[in-house]
Amino acid sequence: MSDPAIRVENLVKLYRPNRSAEIRAVDGLSFVVRPGTIFGLLGPNGAGKTTTLRILTTRARPTSGRAEVFGYDVVRAPLDVRRCIGVVIQEQAADLFLSVRDNLLIFARFHGRYGRSVRSRADDVMGQLGLNDVADRKVQDLSGGFRRRVQVAKMFMIDVPVVFLDEFSTGMDPILKRRVMELLRARAAQGRTIVLTTQVLTEAEELCDDILIINNGRQVAHGDLHALKLLTDRLYAVTLSFDRVPDDLSDIVARYSPAAVRVLHNTVQIRLKEDESRVLELVSTLAKRGRILRVEISGASLEDIFVELTQKESRVS
Amino acid sequence: MSGGTLMAVMLREGKIRATNSAFIFWDLVYPLGYLLVFGIGVNASMGFTSGLHGVNYNAFFLAGVLAMASFGIASNTSWSFFLDRDNGIFQEMLTYPLRRSQYLLGKVLFNVLIALVQALVTVALAAALLHVPVRLDGIPLLLATTVVCTAGWFFFYAIFALRIRRNDAFNTVNSVFYFVFLFASSMFYPLDSLPTVFRVAAYANPITWQIDVLRRATIGVGDARLMTIESVAFVVFTLIAFAAATRSLEDEA
Repeated sequence: MSDPAIRVENLVKLYRPNRSAEIRAVDGLSFVVRPGTIFGLLGPNGAGKTTTLRILTTRARPTSGRAEVFGYDVVRAPLDVRRCIGVVIQEQAADLFLSVRDNLLIFARFHGRYGRSVRSRADDVMGQLGLNDVADRKVQDLSGGFRRRVQVAKMFMIDVPVVFLDEFSTGMDPILKRRVMELLRARAAQGRTIVLTTQVLTEAEELCDDILIINNGRQVAHGDLHALKLLTDRLYAVTLSFDRVPDDLSDIVARYSPAAVRVLHNTVQIRLKEDESRVLELVSTLAKRGRILRVEISGASLEDIFVELTQKESRVS
Repeated sequence: MSGGTLMAVMLREGKIRATNSAFIFWDLVYPLGYLLVFGIGVNASMGFTSGLHGVNYNAFFLAGVLAMASFGIASNTSWSFFLDRDNGIFQEMLTYPLRRSQYLLGKVLFNVLIALVQALVTVALAAALLHVPVRLDGIPLLLATTVVCTAGWFFFYAIFALRIRRNDAFNTVNSVFYFVFLFASSMFYPLDSLPTVFRVAAYANPITWQIDVLRRATIGVGDARLMTIESVAFVVFTLIAFAAATRSLEDEA
């Protein structure tokens, strides 16, 4: 097995903002990321995702524990780590007074790349991300969405082995988001390692080979999507469309202790944790109470898993 | 790689500054404007002389104006940390393959170039328009002093710009610095006839050291032995400020 791209061992980060109570933003986190994978770091707001990324990208020092990127310790060899990484931070980051093209060229220059080949690459990247028409405009004259595009475009100007993306799709339209996801997949196929955090769980579901769910700075679950689904087996989402919603729907559904029930016009969405036979029994019972126009039963989505696991973890802590 | 990285920071600063030609123009000519308006005004309306034998006020004030300009460039450059923070680029740059010290050095290098051009333009026009008897053999010392002092003041200011996260708070600190450093110094008047407390404060002020060296470099007045001590003191001040500013940047983590 090849050496990991990233190794994190018992990582702890404590903050004490303005002399108030100590916050354990990261609390004993350990994981490895294999080279060439797309690794998703998921968790609710304040879970410790961005702090973990800040440590891995040498912008924050851990209180204890260790983290390595391609064997370089983030505390002892930060410059070596920075030579291996490209980072899209959560906040917008672009030089507002420079043109889009200059933003890309200057960024490449910081990574030791300049000359005709880099200018040509900038043209390609701008073409791929729909920035050609604004190439020579100052970033300050562009909308928030375009500014984010410029920020993400910079990552495609260099060939570093690891790319970190913190909520990369914020402010992007769906078409561009899809394009960026394709480019990220292509990068991973070339052997690059992508580490991303996102609140949009369908993104992670579509992109990630390996997912770590954290909450309160601690690991809640880790594995690929299939492994995570096994952790929450027997979690089903049932969607039923009636010509008229049965009057005793609530009473019937209540017998199955649903996790959530939503009624929207004549459509009922139920999430429940039951055996498959009980789920079919529920559908059959409801079918006797009203005419069903459409029925859909699916296993847990990443969102279901995420909600289930993080809520469970919060209850425990 | 490290030289290239330094060049990248410098290029970035240059490109950003070049997008505002009015800013560069003002940087280049404002010392002369100060000399013309303040120097001539004080000279003509109040009949001030420098108090030094054979040196009129314009000649005396030239070194003060050069120091003030270098101080101003350093202050403006350190303010750009706030601009970088607002743009988000500050946090991104901390992930670029460069040392924190290179970030600081690169940021000041372009502005040192501006300060050098500014000093030469000011001295040339002061000689041509105000007939200040500028010594050509003092030009190398003038340039060296401009480089070290602009960098020194920038590193000094950077400590505060990096530690103070609020733009408005930094502006207040900046105003206090302008008031304290510029007025408690030999910029506007000779120190010999001042009250003792004032004189001691002025001699402890690094901008007095800078002005004394610049005065020696431009018009050849001042005590050579004292100037040597002041030069060494300013170099030490610059090194300490550089170390402290680098530490402040590292403490961002």
